[in-house]
Amino acid sequence: MMSNMKTMFDLNKIDSDGGKVNLNTNQPVQQEIKNAIEVRNLNFFYGSFQGLKDINLDIEEGKVTAFIGPSGCGKSTLLRTLNRMYDLYPGQHAKGEINFYGHNILSDGEDLNLLRSRIGMVFQKPTPFPMSIYENIAFGVRLYEKLSRSEMDERVEWALNKAALWNEAKDKLNQSGLSLSGGQQQRLCIARGVAVKPSVILLDEPTSALDPISTGKIEELINELKHEYTIAIVTHNMQQAARVSDYTAYMYLGSLIEYGKTDEIFIKPKRKETEDYITGRFG
Amino acid sequence: MNNSSNIDPAVFSRRKRANKIGLALSVGAMGLGMVFLLWILSVLFFKGFAALDLSLFTADTPAPGSDGGGLANAIVGSLMLVGCCTLISTPIGVLAGLYLSEYGDRSRIASITRFVTDIMLSAPSIVIGLFVYAFVVAQVRHFSGWAGTIALALIAIPVVVRTTENMLRLVPGSLREAAYALGTPKWKVAFMITLRAAQSGIMTGILLSLARVSGETAPLLFTALNNQFFSTNMNAPMANLPVVIFQFAMSPYDNWVNLAWGGALLITFAVLALNILARVVFREKVQG
Amino acid sequence: MSDKHLSSQFDADLNSLSSRLLEMGGLVESQISTAMRAFTQMDVDACNVVIENEKLVNDLEVQIDLACTELIARRQPTARDLRLVMAVSKAITNLERAGDEAERVAKRTRRLIESGGTHNINTAEIRLSGQMAISLLRRSLDAFARLDTVAAAEVVQEDRHIDEEFRGFVRKLISYMTEDPHTITAGLDMLTIAKAIERIGDHAKNIAEFVIYVAKGADVRHIPHEDLVREANKP
Repeated sequence: MMSNMKTMFDLNKIDSDGGKVNLNTNQPVQQEIKNAIEVRNLNFFYGSFQGLKDINLDIEEGKVTAFIGPSGCGKSTLLRTLNRMYDLYPGQHAKGEINFYGHNILSDGEDLNLLRSRIGMVFQKPTPFPMSIYENIAFGVRLYEKLSRSEMDERVEWALNKAALWNEAKDKLNQSGLSLSGGQQQRLCIARGVAVKPSVILLDEPTSALDPISTGKIEELINELKHEYTIAIVTHNMQQAARVSDYTAYMYLGSLIEYGKTDEIFIKPKRKETEDYITGRFG
Repeated sequence: MNNSSNIDPAVFSRRKRANKIGLALSVGAMGLGMVFLLWILSVLFFKGFAALDLSLFTADTPAPGSDGGGLANAIVGSLMLVGCCTLISTPIGVLAGLYLSEYGDRSRIASITRFVTDIMLSAPSIVIGLFVYAFVVAQVRHFSGWAGTIALALIAIPVVVRTTENMLRLVPGSLREAAYALGTPKWKVAFMITLRAAQSGIMTGILLSLARVSGETAPLLFTALNNQFFSTNMNAPMANLPVVIFQFAMSPYDNWVNLAWGGALLITFAVLALNILARVVFREKVQG
Repeated sequence: MSDKHLSSQFDADLNSLSSRLLEMGGLVESQISTAMRAFTQMDVDACNVVIENEKLVNDLEVQIDLACTELIARRQPTARDLRLVMAVSKAITNLERAGDEAERVAKRTRRLIESGGTHNINTAEIRLSGQMAISLLRRSLDAFARLDTVAAAEVVQEDRHIDEEFRGFVRKLISYMTEDPHTITAGLDMLTIAKAIERIGDHAKNIAEFVIYVAKGADVRHIPHEDLVREANKP
């Protein structure tokens, strides 16, 4: 078992405890693990301050990966490198490789707009656009696709359904997005992100500003979305990470301390720093 | 635990007294301002009311010595001048404000633009009028409505630029980021998201610039001049309310003075209405 | 990074849980001691003491279990803390059953005394394994207090000796009973007593296995002994 793991972060080999067995040869069948994103030797700088130090990790396709750690540990910074959000701000730059299905998105001349339509992001503060609910969703779709009116109607309905908002919104599609409650607005933002059919959805503390019931609804949403999308979520709520994610990464002061299956991290973490953080022994 | 408090009665009563004094002074100051405002409005209303009848809107300005008359040509002229000014200044002002907020921001051009805008905001309007006179009127050797429009635009544009930029800056960065995160190109973020989010504030700015230029007299003195007759030819001198008031107010003719009061009343209430409209628009959008 | 939680109340709760476990362990230990003394000296008063105090053991199990549940509800413990709470919850079950076995020893001893029967069955094995059982229990609780996995592994190993003693005694008993059928009644009581002691040893072994679980995160129940020792000795 242990000899299969070359490095702490080599997720391509999994314990054969849960793996399948080939009935003819009685050997464990190596399941095909595809990584949506592979981060290699990533270093990030805010001007001269180094925000991320030599990050190496894989984000597996079709799974939820959570990033936890104290304030200032770099988890949001890392998330924002994945869709090159930092490019909006001069003085912030990244070195290293981020391979999105084999293609390095940190290369020069990368089409950022196209990238961001493949890797979507939902933020902590719900930000509906100043237009109707329908238009909020249609806006993103129209950027890259030409759909007829009926096709667009379908897509809007589909997206709102995916975000579990259709029933609450179907009678007020023409009302402003701002007329929804906080939790609904956040689900609208998720619908907006899902409507353009990205491969990866990044969630930056999506429920921090919401009440427990809205939070629960969105966690339930994440659970359903993960079947079709790869999801990476940053959260300062450890129990949320434990509830929704398949893999958890613990970061501290810009470094990746430990990365593994969520169950292992929360029952038997390998590093003392990780255990101290999740048990609340941060003295 | 007990329910008694640590308040020292002497300190408390001193504070209460200071509070009362402060309140009295503020209310007094407000009252003073209100008194003068109401005084002006009531005098205007009083004096101008006499001139308010249908002929004010249908008859043209009377020749010296003749009876009656109205302000029709001046009203129409003002509307045309202010209208054209708005058509010119709004796009230029909004686009400039957009550039300053979304594109230029820290660049040298942006700081220079802001500096120039601030200067022009406080430039004496008569200076602007003279400038347009020198560069437009003197060149073509005649006064015109277009010159007047240009002068008014030069006053209105800085107002629109300043308000547009400020309103756009109020739009939270998170909204822009959300748009970028969808893969929206920069120009679309600026025009379709940020501008739209700030639209009520920008509208207010435009209405306020309108209100400002409606009453400007000095620039029109050297550019559009005035026209005794009804004319919609922008290439020629145009009648307008401010200059008419200027001309009529100090004249010896009674009907002229009357008409001047009427014109003043019209302008004042137009500006008042624009200001109220601007507030209403802003408040509605903010709540919606 | 210190070993204390940000919440001192949490620290206090966890420590209280551990110390109450040890307190219950001490009580059960003394029950077994008293029961063995009752058997060795055929002392009916000692028997009655054990039988009465059994209620205390049961009450402690209920209280500590409640404390475990409350801690989980309030604190959602993770990692080492979670393993500790799970282990305490299971260990008190083992202790309570060990207490039951002590009571069983006392009751059978009392029956032996009341039946008055002279018997000449050599009970050396019972006395010996009784001492071993008490020692094992003490050592397993001690290992739990210090989370000493090496000591725990030794406890697991030595439980075998009790098992061997038990098997030896059974063989001897069978020969006694076949030789002299009058001894069968007393013999059966002794068998029960011997079995009870053997079970006490098993409970001590279980507690030792939990020590390794809490400290190393490995569930070593039902795995070969070499693997258990390997897990216990991991850094």
